[in-house]
Amino acid sequence: MKPAPFDYFAPTSVDEVRDLLAQYGDDAKILAGGQSLVPVMALRLAQPSVVIDINHVHELDYIRADAHGLAIGAITRHRAVERSTLVREKAPLLSAGVEWIGHPQIRNRATVGGSLAHADPAAELPALAAALEATFTVTHASGTKRTLKADDFFVSYLTTALAADDLLSDIYFPALPAGAGWSFVEVARRHGDFALVGVAAIVGLDGAGNCSDVRVALFGVAPTAVRSPRAEQALLGQQPGEQAIAAAAAEVAGDIEPPADVHASSAYRIYVATNLVRRALTEAAQRAQ
Amino acid sequence: MASKKQMIELTVNGVHREGLAEPRRTLADFLRDDLGLTGTHLGCEHGVCGACTVLVNGEAVRSCLMFAVQANEQEVTTIEGLAAGGKLHPVQAAFWECHGMQCGFCTPGFVMSVYAFLKENPDPREEEIRPALSGNLCRCTGYQNIVDAVRLASEKMQAAASEPVLVTEQAV
Amino acid sequence: MAVSGSVIGNYVGASVKRVEDPRFLTGQGRYIDDIMLPNMAYAAFLRSPYPHARITVDASEARALPGVMAVFTAADLAGVVNPILVDASLPGAKPQPHTALASDKVRFVGDPIAIVVAESRYVAEDAVDLIQVDYDPLPPVPNMEVALDPASTPLYEEVGDNIAYHDTFTYGDVDAAFSSADRVITETFRQHRYINVPMETRGSVATYDTATGELTYYAGTQAHNATRFFLGAQLNLPGHRIRVIAPDIGGAFGLKFGVYREDMLVAAAAIKTGRPVKWIEDRRENLTAGGHAREETLTLDAAVKSDGTILGLKVKMTLDAGAYQVMPLNPALFTMIVRLVLPGPYRFQNYAFDATVVTTNKAPYVAYRGPWAVETWVREGMADIIAKELGLDPVEVRRKNIVTKEEQPYKSAVGIAIDRVSARETLERAVELADIPRFREEQQRLRAEGRLVGFGLATFIEPAPGGADYMAMLGAGAKEVATVRIEPTGHVTVYTAQVPHGQSHETTLAQIVATELGVPFEHIKVVHGDTQMGPFTLSGTGGSRAATMASGAALFASREVKKQVLQIAGAMLEASPDDLELANSMISVRGVPQKAIPLAQIAMLVYLAPGHLPPGSPFELVGTFAYDGGEGGWAQATHCCWVEIDPQTGKVDITRYLVVEDCGTMINPAVVEGQVRGGTAQGIGGVLYEHAIYDENAQFLTSTFMDYLVPTAMEIPPIEIEHLETPPISPVNFRGVGEGGAICAPPAIINAISDALGVKITQQPLPPTRILELMGAIPAD
Repeated sequence: MKPAPFDYFAPTSVDEVRDLLAQYGDDAKILAGGQSLVPVMALRLAQPSVVIDINHVHELDYIRADAHGLAIGAITRHRAVERSTLVREKAPLLSAGVEWIGHPQIRNRATVGGSLAHADPAAELPALAAALEATFTVTHASGTKRTLKADDFFVSYLTTALAADDLLSDIYFPALPAGAGWSFVEVARRHGDFALVGVAAIVGLDGAGNCSDVRVALFGVAPTAVRSPRAEQALLGQQPGEQAIAAAAAEVAGDIEPPADVHASSAYRIYVATNLVRRALTEAAQRAQ
Repeated sequence: MASKKQMIELTVNGVHREGLAEPRRTLADFLRDDLGLTGTHLGCEHGVCGACTVLVNGEAVRSCLMFAVQANEQEVTTIEGLAAGGKLHPVQAAFWECHGMQCGFCTPGFVMSVYAFLKENPDPREEEIRPALSGNLCRCTGYQNIVDAVRLASEKMQAAASEPVLVTEQAV
Repeated sequence: MAVSGSVIGNYVGASVKRVEDPRFLTGQGRYIDDIMLPNMAYAAFLRSPYPHARITVDASEARALPGVMAVFTAADLAGVVNPILVDASLPGAKPQPHTALASDKVRFVGDPIAIVVAESRYVAEDAVDLIQVDYDPLPPVPNMEVALDPASTPLYEEVGDNIAYHDTFTYGDVDAAFSSADRVITETFRQHRYINVPMETRGSVATYDTATGELTYYAGTQAHNATRFFLGAQLNLPGHRIRVIAPDIGGAFGLKFGVYREDMLVAAAAIKTGRPVKWIEDRRENLTAGGHAREETLTLDAAVKSDGTILGLKVKMTLDAGAYQVMPLNPALFTMIVRLVLPGPYRFQNYAFDATVVTTNKAPYVAYRGPWAVETWVREGMADIIAKELGLDPVEVRRKNIVTKEEQPYKSAVGIAIDRVSARETLERAVELADIPRFREEQQRLRAEGRLVGFGLATFIEPAPGGADYMAMLGAGAKEVATVRIEPTGHVTVYTAQVPHGQSHETTLAQIVATELGVPFEHIKVVHGDTQMGPFTLSGTGGSRAATMASGAALFASREVKKQVLQIAGAMLEASPDDLELANSMISVRGVPQKAIPLAQIAMLVYLAPGHLPPGSPFELVGTFAYDGGEGGWAQATHCCWVEIDPQTGKVDITRYLVVEDCGTMINPAVVEGQVRGGTAQGIGGVLYEHAIYDENAQFLTSTFMDYLVPTAMEIPPIEIEHLETPPISPVNFRGVGEGGAICAPPAIINAISDALGVKITQQPLPPTRILELMGAIPAD
């Protein structure tokens, strides 16, 4: 299983990447960690005639914290996120979720930007980005930048808002609100696999103990990572007791359209999504202060 | 033309090596066929089985998912680089003592993954061992002896006054 | 070197560290893809993406690609590779002649259409993409039901339908058994299709020397002599001018036994191009086209008494053999083995068996670690179902039916002698260790909390290698030969017919020979895998034969050469050979240690100074022995499985797993345990994770490791093993143990899941979706 031939470039700056995209955009694929792209090329399901290797664009390899959250460069490795005390402080949900991505050997190479740009709906990171309401900075070949919300970034199955001459350059993860609880739960066939169903949840409580902030993001259950407005609305303003949570979880089915594939049926994913949302909201509420 | 063979220079097991490779040539194929280091094996070529595991700059990676050109000016450690002066590394010795292989095909990948794991986590808790192994597939052993080998290797490495000098010293 | 539990000089029974490991550990194993010959070219196959279609092929553009030596289609190789016809002489079998490359039609997704030879595998695959094929699709035959329909489009027009084999067999008085039964219980069991998946795929390097007319064929094969024999026949090469060499092999589990179309084609490519040609199967090819295993459906009617005694059994079996038969074994043979082994250690004598093999647009059927394994599942699954139906304890049903020691030798329903079989003892010991009553209490308590736990067990026997009667029924029964040579330096070389690929023969055979000859273990080298040296065997390594056959041959060959040594030593020490003993490479007079000669000295005299020896002395120290298997031997075990099932996700956690096994005398306990655990892991994989899936159009859906799920260290629990050892009555008390884990694990697991859910289960696999469906939590598709 050998890839088809391609022209290879290894730029060392964003400016160089932009020039290459301007020249080759339509025929090019950006290579970051390679953990998703290279298998697809080995299977010859993708045969880009140009590969732009951005692993030497060191300006995109960073984790910086500011008052409100974390700025992460596109080629930051999952392993760096996993090991980062900054991330653990500001967004422990992200730390927890990243540990579920594949295996250590994959996390050593795979990148935050690469995973988000690949947009596998059963992957952890897009759902984490949705739950944390991350914003995505896209640098165009011309140099103009635009910022997108997760909702707008993830379009469909393996499809994002990135054009052929765009580079996802930076991602900003707002910190968890003070006192908010979080939970990350996933069901997969085997340890490290893509999820059959996964949930990233955040619950914030007001002074009276009612839910003032409820975010439920799911993966594996739709063409993209999705939030569940129905579940979120059902719990907002409520005390997060067992019945309220169960009722909210039951609403999730209306916001998802799970696929059937060799690993699970649609009915399975709906059933399990309901159970996992219930578990996640319970845990997040327990963690909330 | 940018698809033509490129000159690659890299350090493999502490030794400067070089060669020509098309961009699409994987690091695994370059190590095996161009450098003659056939200890790294191909089990799937799509990043699941771990038989191709090597260290790049001290980190365990799937060499079937890297192109050789990406290893230019990098430091690579393969299974051939682990034993020093004919003396097995404690990880290798532990696998031997624990009957941790049968056909041997997955073994180099496991040994490299375990080596990297114990470098980062020299005294793992029992429940940390199997997750650390989950990126490598074995079809022969049922894994139990490999788990034992990790435990034994950890004990050996902690007990040893000094490790045998590795041909590559990697900073974690 | 770690040696445990041994008497000095007696290595049998010791978990000696393996001879194989240093080279594997340091990356110096020499597997097929490590073989590099000067001027070597690389092959790749064009394989059909259609399951059933007529084809016309145009390879001109591919041939023109720089770096391509040749592209061969079926037409190009007519006269070079003979048409393939797997033996169909079994009554009820129909011949399926076909060509090595698909000629006018393709019959499954993955069917090879052309072979490209190029400067690199990369270029070869580029050329594959340039071959133009017109596919004219034919109606697919995607499963057994369609294949059994006479209206289905025949894959082989000359056969006329898609039934490759059918025959019926009766033993005892089935009608009487059924008319005297209290109940007749009927179930249909569906075993799914899965794949051997050794970590190393198939592969070979062929090189043809035009000066000598000799083909040297390096191959990851577990049957090197069979490959040599059939390659010669298929390529019209003189039999003595073919040499097959099996290097280190990265696992096989039965996959590398066949002589494949690819073998013939790679060899033909080397002959036609004049270059050595290497072909390494990639994983997608391996999963798609390497061969699949186990897809069988069996309907059982059990005539039972209310006390659980099985009076008689009717079995109707259908095996889905896919689109092509793999040389040399007709898949009908596997229905025969199922038929012969299904009664297992049970007593019933009245037995009817109806066997059908169908042809479908799927990958060819291949043997996989205990290819008859479905017999244990259906028997042990049925035992539990009978228990449930009659309100009996599943253990009691087995006690009612499993033959005791006192009854043996016992003739099974098919006339095979069951003798020195300890299946019952493994069951009793397992039950003792399992403490089932305590589990039942806990199960009740946990159920009240909404937790689902279950316990299941299964007992099996397997011919390992089986007795002379069993081998005669199979038409097998060849003796196994080994040669033991003492070298001029007093070291020892053992030539075995085995082709190890994980079985540790370099170690276990050395243990046996070292013990017999009283030489240090390190002085022994085991040579294998080269048809140019070493004994002939058609069966190679597989079928759980080696522990008995290869060990016995080596043991008795050692005794042959030992006789020669003792004769010479006796003359030199002026003692009777009966008064001599060998230890640590010294031959000494028993009780008079100072009267001793080193083995090396005797060897030196024999080879270098024969004039110093009495007339009639051997001129070399070599012993060869053809071993018939002696009593043969059965291996047996009882597997116990405890599960907990998460009702919210359908995930099955195996919380405890216990095997009580008896393989006679263990040569190397670590090796035995490794085999049991590895086989059990494959059984777990088969039930819970692995499934080779075709859709209703015979399109293959699980061609990568993302889709076909092999269990990792996280999915396989620790496995406790207790050993029983049926004591020896002869020097060779070693039975095979390689296949048992894969055979007995599935029913133990399934019985446990059934117990946890309180639901009858007669279908595999059991992924989480299926678990929730069985629970009634979600609707079935």
